[in-house]
Amino acid sequence: MNNKYKILLIEDERNIQTFVTAMLEADGYKVISAHNCGNGKMLFSSHNPDLVILDLGLPDGDGMEVLKYIRATSPVPVIVLSARSDESDKVLALDMGANDYITKPFGSAEFLARVRTALRNFRRIDENSKFVLDNLIIDYDARTVMIDEKVIKLTQTEYNIIALLSQHCGKVMTYSAIITAIWGYNDIGSIKKLQVNMANIRKKFGVVPGSDSYITNELGVGYKMNMAE
Amino acid sequence: MKEFISRLRNTFLLILIMCLAFCISLLISNIFDNESLIPAIMMLAVFIISLVTKGYRYGVIASLISVLAVNYAFTFPYFRFNFTMSENLVSAIIMIIVTMITGTLATKLRNQDALKAESEMERMRANLLRAVSHDLRTPLTTIYGSSSTILDNYDVLSDEQKQKMLLGIREDSEWLMRMVENLLSVTRLDSDNVKLIKSPTVLDELIDSVIVKFRRKYPDKPIVLTLPEEFTIISIDAMLIQQVLFNILENAISHAKGMTQIEFKVYLRDKNAVFEISDDGCGIPKERLKTIFSGLYTGEIIPSDTKINSGIGLSVCSSIIKAHGSVISAENNEKGGATFRFALETENENNE
Repeated sequence: MNNKYKILLIEDERNIQTFVTAMLEADGYKVISAHNCGNGKMLFSSHNPDLVILDLGLPDGDGMEVLKYIRATSPVPVIVLSARSDESDKVLALDMGANDYITKPFGSAEFLARVRTALRNFRRIDENSKFVLDNLIIDYDARTVMIDEKVIKLTQTEYNIIALLSQHCGKVMTYSAIITAIWGYNDIGSIKKLQVNMANIRKKFGVVPGSDSYITNELGVGYKMNMAE
Repeated sequence: MKEFISRLRNTFLLILIMCLAFCISLLISNIFDNESLIPAIMMLAVFIISLVTKGYRYGVIASLISVLAVNYAFTFPYFRFNFTMSENLVSAIIMIIVTMITGTLATKLRNQDALKAESEMERMRANLLRAVSHDLRTPLTTIYGSSSTILDNYDVLSDEQKQKMLLGIREDSEWLMRMVENLLSVTRLDSDNVKLIKSPTVLDELIDSVIVKFRRKYPDKPIVLTLPEEFTIISIDAMLIQQVLFNILENAISHAKGMTQIEFKVYLRDKNAVFEISDDGCGIPKERLKTIFSGLYTGEIIPSDTKINSGIGLSVCSSIIKAHGSVISAENNEKGGATFRFALETENENNE
């Protein structure tokens, strides 16, 4: 049953729609296209897709509205397309339940990788009690993190952050989402507290900046745990 | 609130300078026993006030006060107002006229400065626009020409030819993308109302994002990275600073001929994080070094069919760094190659 994922593409620019459809179909997905909010909602309800790709700027309303509509009934992964503006748009979309965002313009390799990640992520929810990424293993039952078979000593908070990110791997977690989940409240100093914890985690993991490692920094937005390809 | 503060400041200056002038006048009239200097001192005070305060209101008030002060303290009858003596009246009127004219002149002078700065900005923008429209034409020609060639001759062209043209299209659109990113930043910086969106950014994360992006695009270009051990937070517009660093790195790739590696160093000095990117390529020609950040188009003749990476990248870098209250510099290394350097203030205080 694994093949022919159904993807709903909601995008009003015809040229973008054409090449994204071509790209996805060439990769073996089935694509349903909608060109505005109303149409998108209708097709979503009638076709029950495995993934939604949603442009935020639609002619008959805001894409956020569609996102809200989808999230009211379904946990299906949603990838948001946005023109480069500021981060606040992205943060808003992510906080409203989008799984990922892609900034226009984008190339096919990056796009398809995100699609794969979003789909895989959805499939593997609570698959087992372990998370594996390359040589990183997180054992949720024992609350331990191992790299290269060696246990990494983390504080409670550090472990909670890592566990949270890994449970949502492939999805960008915004600062405020992480902070609320870990500390329960969100005040002025919280982001710095999170940043310091992340710095300590990086140090304990022995990661060097620039070595595409376990966690991706989305500057000004949040963090993302990568997934095994 | 801001207006209130400026009004307070101006009033304070007015009072301070007038009091000072009055005391000096008193002193002088006691020492020399002569009042002929007094109007000159008062005039000077009014002139200074017109210069340091905004608008002419304060200059006019100052001139009125000075007329009253001269009349009261330094003309016969002493320490009493007297506008009945005709010579006092005439001197008062003359003084008011003179001070008003000085005040107006000073204001004009100030306005002219502002005007000059604005026209300079306007000129820069025009230059940039010219440069851009020139530079856009070449890649657009490739994209438009190649794609229509492929469409019109799809069956005639060999696969190899088609692939070559498609590659050209991709390459030139990538170049356009870069240009548009830079332009967006410039317009964001130029428009008066849009400010930097600064947020506390962890140095390691900033560098990580840049290097990851860079390695993805140029996997075989080696970078030697040196970072401070300390946990460092800088308050910056992360997106723009990322772009500065990326521009400089990319610049080294496309312009430093014979480059074998890029050295990317960040170190802490006092409260600043100093960013240093150097290559071991061909260096920058001396005559270019001076204008390297001001945009390329300073009157040189450019062959109209070449695509020059216009120095817009670097002028964007310069404006971004300037907007962060710092400066960027470029120099040639002794051993060859060039170094770009700028410093940004950190928020280090070592509390966790």
